Amino acid sequence: MSDLEVRDLTRVFASGDTPRRAVDGVSFTASSGLLTGFVGGNGAGKTTTMRMIMGVLAITRGEVRFGGAPVTRHDRREFGYMPEERGLYPKQPVLEQLVYLARLRGIAAPVARREVLEHLDRLGLAGRAKDHVEKLSLGNQQRVQIVAAIMGQPKALVLDEPFSGLDPAAVDAMADLLREHTRRGVPVLFSSHQLDLVERLCERLVILGGGRVLASGTPDELRTKGFTRHRLVLSGDAGFVRGVPGVLAVDVDGSSALVEVHDDAAATRLLSAALERGAVQEFSPVRPTLAQIYREVTS
Amino acid sequence: MRNAWMVVATREIVVRALNKGFLIGLAVTIAMIGGLIGFTSYMDSRTESFDVAVVAGDEAAATALESAAEDATASDQRIALSVVRVDDAAAAEAALEDETADAWLSSGTDGAAATDGAAGWTLSGWREPDTDLADLVETTVREQVMAERATDAGTTVEALTAGSEIGTERLDGNPVDPEIVFAAGFVLAFLFFMGAVGSGAMIAGSVIEEKQSRLVEIIATAVPLRQLLAGKIIGSSVIALSQNLLLAAIGLVGISFTDLSAMLPAMTATMLWFVVFFTVGFVAVAALYAVAGSLASRTEDLQYTTSPLMMLLMAVYVVTFSADGVLERVLSYIPPASIVSMPVRVLNGDALWWEPLVSLLILVAATFGAVLLSERAYRGALMQTGGRVTWKTALAGDRGTTLGA
Repeated sequence: MSDLEVRDLTRVFASGDTPRRAVDGVSFTASSGLLTGFVGGNGAGKTTTMRMIMGVLAITRGEVRFGGAPVTRHDRREFGYMPEERGLYPKQPVLEQLVYLARLRGIAAPVARREVLEHLDRLGLAGRAKDHVEKLSLGNQQRVQIVAAIMGQPKALVLDEPFSGLDPAAVDAMADLLREHTRRGVPVLFSSHQLDLVERLCERLVILGGGRVLASGTPDELRTKGFTRHRLVLSGDAGFVRGVPGVLAVDVDGSSALVEVHDDAAATRLLSAALERGAVQEFSPVRPTLAQIYREVTS
Repeated sequence: MRNAWMVVATREIVVRALNKGFLIGLAVTIAMIGGLIGFTSYMDSRTESFDVAVVAGDEAAATALESAAEDATASDQRIALSVVRVDDAAAAEAALEDETADAWLSSGTDGAAATDGAAGWTLSGWREPDTDLADLVETTVREQVMAERATDAGTTVEALTAGSEIGTERLDGNPVDPEIVFAAGFVLAFLFFMGAVGSGAMIAGSVIEEKQSRLVEIIATAVPLRQLLAGKIIGSSVIALSQNLLLAAIGLVGISFTDLSAMLPAMTATMLWFVVFFTVGFVAVAALYAVAGSLASRTEDLQYTTSPLMMLLMAVYVVTFSADGVLERVLSYIPPASIVSMPVRVLNGDALWWEPLVSLLILVAATFGAVLLSERAYRGALMQTGGRVTWKTALAGDRGTTLGA
């Protein structure tokens, strides 16, 4: 088990007169074998956290642990990393520069070459191996960049916005690729601001805002944390729900109402009041989407 | 990985060597040097021929021209003369105007024997006559006239001029012409400037390319930044050095085909010193240029961040090739000016044997310091995104990366 663990990670930028805490006491775990989504708006501190995890940026306070021990330069060498900006060497052929990057990680040139060609083939870029990177479309450049991160069976993957700029088919291909690595038992941490995507793909979720962790857990855990909403559909008018103690009417529309029930007693009161007035056609919990949870925790 | 710097250096060299701009620039420089040398040796070896008009009956002029032609051949002056006989002065002028003759030599006696000696010898041209021709004819005419007079006076020219020659002697034992030293200073300063600025700009460009694309973040997790920097410096030093060796070799080979070939041993020693000094000094220049690259945040910033270095190199270029005397002696010990000034002093012959060695030691020490400082600044600035970085913030430790060592 080699979890990637972040403890109380803090980064203060001393720009100008006022020090700015870009990341403030962030703790979470990217468990091995799981896809962990890192969500947050612009300036939430996602990139800064990832750069600290990779050691690119010095840590002000806190620590990064891998496999139960403080992360070493040796560990990080075997992490696959995809930084915030894209580009690689614009004027160098795809294959050549991927082999170069692999060799820097200590992979012998012939092995690197074989592996790169294999990855390029899988991502549909086999024919572009000799093209300069700048000649490729943005989506294809993104694919080349992901190959740079996953070469050489990395021990962990830290990917900053790996899905941005990809079309739906490419998103699926990329997700399959990442799952291959989680199946190997590798922790995969990736940031994104596409909530629907994160909801669909991730086993774990960390919501970041203003440099702090606002919520984390599995998508289901996050959904159940807030007040559960229920939809109530009656045969008659549903206006009475406004008067039931312990019940908050979110939206009432004729015979249907969306309510937040604060405890079980309130639910019983609500249902018996409804039955007194006629038939109850539907009383069901409404699962909030991650987008709603996100808005809630970040507001 | 211990040998990561070799992988980096190899890439720098290969990418650079295949760069079109670099190759074109090099080809143009070589063509310029080749052209210059070719032109010089052509001018040196060319035999100029002149058609000189002589009016019929002016036997003195005809004789003078014949012996001038003989003298020219004997003294290897590469001037060929042929006599064009014309009827009279008017015909001679016409020949000059329609360019059937390049000059017209007249003894001023119109065929009559020179009696009073005041007869005016004239060499006329349609425009000013060629100076080489004029010098040759003047010497011959003077000898001819003197010989006649000596015979008249019952003596010989040899008897008259015996013991009047002045021998020249140079006490410092250096056979090299001061003009050559000046030219060599100019050439070395030029090579230094071209090599340093050209390769420096390339290393800065390669650093910002990696910083701007964040590629350096990927590389930095795989390889210590120190090795990345070392690879870059070594790679571009190899390029700069081979470029200068190539140009120097072409220059020296070229010189062997010209009249300067006698200077070749002295020149070669100077070139070798220059290559050694340049090699050491360029490492510092490359390191500083790498910092300049890391201080920028986009390629557009390079012009700003490299300009102090550019100024320094420009100053070295301008000052060193024009310096002499005490200033040159002082500069020959101060890096980076010593890279140019010390080899020039070696050529000049006024440097004692230990002087280049001491100067080299100073240069090595300065380079070492510059590299250490640059390494810190490079690591400090490389991961700072968002706007240009100053040397001060680059050297402030806490802002940088932990991946340096």
